[in-house]
Amino acid sequence: MPGSTGILAPGLTTFKRSVRSKGVSVESSIDNLISLLKRRQIRDSRPCAIATAHLLRRVVETFKITDISRLIDRVQQIGQRLISAQPRELTTGNIVRRVLGVIREEVEEDREGEISGYSDAGTDSRPQTPREQDSRAPDYSALFPRSLTSSLLRHGEMDSKLEEIGDGRPQRPPLLTSQTSYAVTNTAPTVTSMFSLLSHPRSNVPSPTATPGSQSPGIHLSLTSQALANAGAVKDLKAEVVEGIQEILEELNQADDQIAGYALEHIHSNEVILTHTSSVTVQKFLLKAAARRKFTVVHAEAYPNNHEATHASVIGKAKGEPDDDLGSEVFQKTLTAAGVTVVLVPDSAVFALMSRVNKVILDTHAVLVNGDIVAAAGAKAIAKAAKLHCTPVVVLSGVYKLSPVYPFDPDALMENGDPSKVISYEDGDFVDKVEIENPLFDYVPVELVSLYITNLGGHAPSYLHCIIDDHYCAEDVDLDKSNAYR
Amino acid sequence: MAVSSNNSMPTPTPEEPSITSHSNGSPPFDIVKTYNELCRTDPLLTHPIAAIEALISLLAASPVDTISETLSLLSTATTALKSSVSNPIALSAGTDLFQRYIISTLQQRSSQDAKGRSRRNLAGGTEDFRAVLAHLLANSRLFVQRANEARGKIASVARKFVRDGSTVLTCGRSRVVAAVLEATADENVRFQVIYAEDPLPSSPNSTNIVNNLRRKDVPVAVIPFAAMATVLSRADFILAGAESVVENGGVISSMGTYQMGLLAKSKGRPFYVVAESHKFVRVFPLDGGDLPIKGMGIEFSTENEEGKGMHEEGRRKERDLCVEFTPPELITAIVTENGVQTPSAVSEELIKIWY
Amino acid sequence: MAPSANVEGELAPAQDIESSEKPLENGAKEQVVPATSEDITAPKGKAKTANGAQQKGKPSEGSKDGKPSGKELKEKAKAEKAARRAQQKGRQPGQQGQPIVDLGPEKQKNADTRRPSVAGPAPTTKIQHKRTGSASGGAQKPIQFRPVQAHAAPISEEPPKENKNVALFDHLYGNPRRNTVAGASKDVHPAVLALGLQMRNYMICGSSARCVATMLAFKRVIEAYITPPQNSLPRHLTTHLSSQIDYIVSCRPLSISMGNAIRWLKVKISEVDVTTEESEAKADLCNAIDSFITEKITVADQVIARRGIEKIRDGDVILTYAKSSIVQQTLVEAFRQGRKFKVIVVDSRPLFEGKNLARALTDLGLEAQYSLTHGISHVIKDATKVFLGAHAMMSNGRLYSRVGTALVAMTAKEADVPVIVCCESIKYTEKVALDSFVHNEVAPPEELITQGETSSPLSKWLDVPNLQLLNLMYDLTPAEYISMVIDESGYLPPSSVPFMQRLSLNT
Repeated sequence: MPGSTGILAPGLTTFKRSVRSKGVSVESSIDNLISLLKRRQIRDSRPCAIATAHLLRRVVETFKITDISRLIDRVQQIGQRLISAQPRELTTGNIVRRVLGVIREEVEEDREGEISGYSDAGTDSRPQTPREQDSRAPDYSALFPRSLTSSLLRHGEMDSKLEEIGDGRPQRPPLLTSQTSYAVTNTAPTVTSMFSLLSHPRSNVPSPTATPGSQSPGIHLSLTSQALANAGAVKDLKAEVVEGIQEILEELNQADDQIAGYALEHIHSNEVILTHTSSVTVQKFLLKAAARRKFTVVHAEAYPNNHEATHASVIGKAKGEPDDDLGSEVFQKTLTAAGVTVVLVPDSAVFALMSRVNKVILDTHAVLVNGDIVAAAGAKAIAKAAKLHCTPVVVLSGVYKLSPVYPFDPDALMENGDPSKVISYEDGDFVDKVEIENPLFDYVPVELVSLYITNLGGHAPSYLHCIIDDHYCAEDVDLDKSNAYR
Repeated sequence: MAVSSNNSMPTPTPEEPSITSHSNGSPPFDIVKTYNELCRTDPLLTHPIAAIEALISLLAASPVDTISETLSLLSTATTALKSSVSNPIALSAGTDLFQRYIISTLQQRSSQDAKGRSRRNLAGGTEDFRAVLAHLLANSRLFVQRANEARGKIASVARKFVRDGSTVLTCGRSRVVAAVLEATADENVRFQVIYAEDPLPSSPNSTNIVNNLRRKDVPVAVIPFAAMATVLSRADFILAGAESVVENGGVISSMGTYQMGLLAKSKGRPFYVVAESHKFVRVFPLDGGDLPIKGMGIEFSTENEEGKGMHEEGRRKERDLCVEFTPPELITAIVTENGVQTPSAVSEELIKIWY
Repeated sequence: MAPSANVEGELAPAQDIESSEKPLENGAKEQVVPATSEDITAPKGKAKTANGAQQKGKPSEGSKDGKPSGKELKEKAKAEKAARRAQQKGRQPGQQGQPIVDLGPEKQKNADTRRPSVAGPAPTTKIQHKRTGSASGGAQKPIQFRPVQAHAAPISEEPPKENKNVALFDHLYGNPRRNTVAGASKDVHPAVLALGLQMRNYMICGSSARCVATMLAFKRVIEAYITPPQNSLPRHLTTHLSSQIDYIVSCRPLSISMGNAIRWLKVKISEVDVTTEESEAKADLCNAIDSFITEKITVADQVIARRGIEKIRDGDVILTYAKSSIVQQTLVEAFRQGRKFKVIVVDSRPLFEGKNLARALTDLGLEAQYSLTHGISHVIKDATKVFLGAHAMMSNGRLYSRVGTALVAMTAKEADVPVIVCCESIKYTEKVALDSFVHNEVAPPEELITQGETSSPLSKWLDVPNLQLLNLMYDLTPAEYISMVIDESGYLPPSSVPFMQRLSLNT
């Protein structure tokens, strides 16, 4: 899982350092990340997401905005480059889309503020750093875990209501309606899409400067020239976008802990849990439960790509993700130390043991819009064995891993690892003669998954698309499409 | 055995002359013609029984003296027969059974004799052989009769599935299915039948079952085959016939049976196959593609190529002859004259006669 | 492989065993049994240090510092072992072996390093029934056969010894596998002594190979057997064999095929007419054993291979798991006959048996792909047929085979790829099983510690409380996943296995 372990090796840490330094130009940071992604020096969902968010924050910060639609274009372009650099890391695209969503949202808010005759007091009063945002609405952040805010304010129905009550600002109602409409969309997307047939003429009145993406009959009204004309608001918009990105970063940081927060709802006493690979998310989840309950964990070692990390994690020498200084602080406490019996088994024993396993808990690399997941190789066989034994399969995934992309070609998401992990090059003659298959990922269809737990809570497979709809704008789902129209 | 037949399939009837050469003097005996004639004259005759009949006629017409001569004669005739039909599996059930019968009867006798008299010479063996042969020739009609009786026995077992008020779904032209349903009707059981009709009924027999049942006051609904899934929920169970029953308990039967089995499985309806045990054949296919039969050809064509190959009518005819394999896991039970058996019991029956 | 070569392949392990036994046997003939065991042990002092080192969980350290504490522990271990042994083998006459019990591990090492040199390059040759941990180059790294520290591990240093047994399998642990011939009953024939260790080290591995080797060893036991006065051969030979069997079991539990063969042999012995001349009776038994091996394994394998080939078509991609001698024979034979097909070998930790298979196949020029269990969902997409070997077929049609087989069969079933099991009828058992828990074999967990890497974190697993390693040998594949079983009598559905089992008992 962790890519390069050396401190000085190029990776997430070095990238984050360089992207912050003023001496490095934005363009070179972009190129840097692209090459890191291409060379797989930054890999796996979280590091990719973090790197992307950092890069985009820099991009937004340094962007000389005269026309906000240009910012959308720019982020889209960068997003396309990042995605094509490493199409298998879906979180890159997820973060790009979410940043785009932040921009669109802020713009829309701003525009609606304009329309309703108010200068956006929220924007004006909102300080530049996210920390102070909390102080602005302390009751709110105290009431709700950070996850709710950080999930892009899209759970904003509640958010804005509270704000409305708390701040008593009259300009909120328009915002509320816009967000409520969002929520309506989410709960009944089919209705909206059917309405789009009828509402076609109305949504097809874009301003000349509107982004091509917004021409699709989406739920977001296109940017109007009025909003764009308001140069004064632009700077504040930028600050808000940066703040939105900051929130995404915080969400990335906290996702694992938030997911772990649901552990006690899912693990009962004395049960036997089977897991696979050395996932920090899963370990935190189990540890949280271990604090209160006694249970047994059967740990499949995920040979040959992840067994070393798995062994280390059961022994207690796991280093977390070395590239990652943001969250997932060094992972020291082991499950065994918490009193959980851990049985380490080779992957081949999974079927034999499955009939005594109560739950399978899996980490995932990505979750796609239809609920299919991309997980470590071996996961499909495990999930299938679980299905046959009617054992529930629980997938833990931060919201940032939920991708709005439909998997038209699942094979394109698969990746092959280093064949020498299967047969070392010492067996030279043999290696030459035999074809070695070392897949890194398995594509697990949604039918094999019983439940997804994200930082927002547990979701049935059938509900997952709603969560995804909440987090991405319809215009942004297909970044390539807008490219094609250009 | 099965595969040897498979291998010999592509070579078309080079053995035929050798058969005729056996019966020099008298008009050459044509096994294929005899077989086809038997099938044509008696519509109730199944392929395996027709094959047995044909082989008996062959033995009657050919002067053979030794066991080995007989066996080689039988095997060449069998090969010729198999290569003459598009689906050799059905009749191979008969030819195999016949061959095994001769061999095991001879073995039995010789072992009995060995116990009785310590030494036997070859002449004695030939004597036995003649006795067996005579028995076969004398009882030729008896086999046909028994085979037909088997149908009656199956009917007496399988009709227990049909209760008052039940609805039976069936398709195809199986004589056994017809026998079962007609026997049930004769018992004054009040039931109804849904008959899924092949869109292209080529054989006049296909409507016989419908007419016969209606004549017996059984309400019959005829539906297009494509409506099967919709109608299935109205049926209590499915009854199907089979051309052959293979070793793993799967059946080889007319096109549509596999679909019906899949639908029955997905809708949770029992799927009963009725077949005489002489249709059991020692073939073990892994799937439909693993059978020594000409399967359903799939021809892709664009507009330009259309009509280049066979014209539509010919293709239909060919498809009509096609059979397909239905795997055992779709079959709830197989009803033979020996009772209701699980598909797996077929293999055991076959082992008993071959092992 | 041509038919003649086949036979060779079948018999070769046996020959190897014989040749490897030679030095042992010579020693045994001249001296009494304790001397024999000494013959293959190392100097005592060295053993002690090794023992001490192991108890610290650091098998790689061979230093002498552990001596004083080692001695204490030794005492304790000895007492424990003696107690256990007394419990289990109470009927064994005389426990002369006891005083040198604690030499076990070192002896093991000695046996390990020595055996390959005696047996020559046997483990790496193409002998089909020999399966070894193929991660190593075979004989060059004999440690791969079985980590030396394996046996001593359960004797933990901590006074309150933590039970490292996985609770669900507690009934399967029993005594740790024997590492040494020491303590074996003096009745145990040297051929059997050697055989036990070879099985323990997976030098003889695989249901058929173990069965053949056992029967050949018993043949030698019978040859060397002299009925004591006041006893009859049918009665006494059976008990004599029982002590041999007890020894073998203490090295590794019997395979189903061995159990079947032994049952057959015991019946044969009991059928011996008391009036028969002893030498004649012995010769008859030996001949019976030979024909048993020929009929039930050698010829059976040829027949099965022939039937298997009939199911291999040009263009097929055959997937197999781990290594089965009969599957290998089938594939090799099919290749020799000119079938054009490709093989995918799926393998697993810790034995990596499939690697030897893949190597053997590619050496012949067969196109082969190699992956591990993690890749099964991917490689199955290319496969057209799955061929599996068996340890045993249960009477409810389930397949009992190398752990991981069930995953492969399940994946194949899902992908609609037919699963074919090649299995001699000697592997049929009247036992039924529903899960992989009741009947199974738990191999020493130390085998899971990754070799090669200098410091696998797992090497300290004994020090981590609550951590357990499970090294299961077999699993049970549901009958629904199996399309066909090929045995010497033909093709059958798995449901007909009990029927065939009954038939093969009658014959």
